[in-house]
Amino acid sequence: MHWRKLLRILHRDFGYVAAGLTIIYAISGIAVNHIQDWNPNYKIEKTFLILDSLPKNATQEEITKFVLKAVGETREVKNTYRSSPDELEIFVEGNSILVNYLTKEVKQEKVNSRFFLKETNDLHLNKPKGIWTYVADIFAVALLFLAISGLFLIKGKNGIKGRGLWLTLIGLVIPLSFWLYYYL
Amino acid sequence: MKKLVLFLFLSVLLTSTTYSQEGVKYGKKLTLKEKTSISELYKNPKKYVGKTVQVEGLIIKVCEKRGCWIDIASDKEFEKIRLKVEDGVIVFPLEEKGKKIIAEGVFEELIYTKEDLIEQGEHQAKEYGTKFDPKTITKGKTEYRLKGLGAIVK
Repeated sequence: MHWRKLLRILHRDFGYVAAGLTIIYAISGIAVNHIQDWNPNYKIEKTFLILDSLPKNATQEEITKFVLKAVGETREVKNTYRSSPDELEIFVEGNSILVNYLTKEVKQEKVNSRFFLKETNDLHLNKPKGIWTYVADIFAVALLFLAISGLFLIKGKNGIKGRGLWLTLIGLVIPLSFWLYYYL
Repeated sequence: MKKLVLFLFLSVLLTSTTYSQEGVKYGKKLTLKEKTSISELYKNPKKYVGKTVQVEGLIIKVCEKRGCWIDIASDKEFEKIRLKVEDGVIVFPLEEKGKKIIAEGVFEELIYTKEDLIEQGEHQAKEYGTKFDPKTITKGKTEYRLKGLGAIVK
């Protein structure tokens, strides 16, 4: 078999296998690239209200029940914490509720993970570690192969000896220019 | 080919189930056999600066943007310590807030000047969209924190 034909077959099959991961990495890449402007993993909803009253001489447990009822929170309490003599924080799955005994202010912070996007970000940033590290390594090598083999798929005026060369150089000049601009 | 795809899918599914049974592990494996209470760290800070310690407590705050730090409640009322991890090496998800953690890290002493604190306050105000008045900072301060190495959240 001619080497170029073999290269095309390998490029095609590696491309099929890498398609899913490339899409995941591309979507996540855009998401985490703008981390300064938004939270790519979570939607955080912060609300604030002032209660009319709080039970007097009540235990922490009684206040917790009272506040949960007042804010309409029905999920199970994970834990509670007193950050100061006047404050109690109640942790519920997906919600933390901060109560101020003196001002009767209740601040809620509801956290919902962004479906699909959080999962893709976790994989992209190698949160699972372990076996995924090696999967991501293999993927990186596959991308390297796809990039290099892609250069030699076709011959002629559109190949690497013609138009392909100029386009490849443009692709190299773009990151190089930015690197020179930012670091020199 | 269909069998291969199914095999790969089931293998991953099985691995992830085993993974979730012991609590969620972050970073390096815990090595110390004894825990040090957070109140003890604050009581005798000089004794522990630069040493690796293991602490246990409730996660009361998680870095919203990068999951690069958490605050752990102390055994003493109204006291807490920050566990800072290297960006991207360990990422704590927001869901861990309110859960128990056993963590290991190097106890660090951070000395901030007045100027450092103003810069820090302005940066945080910008990041979280809150207000900061530099006049509230009148002098520098010394802070203690843990440089996180590994943890288990249950």
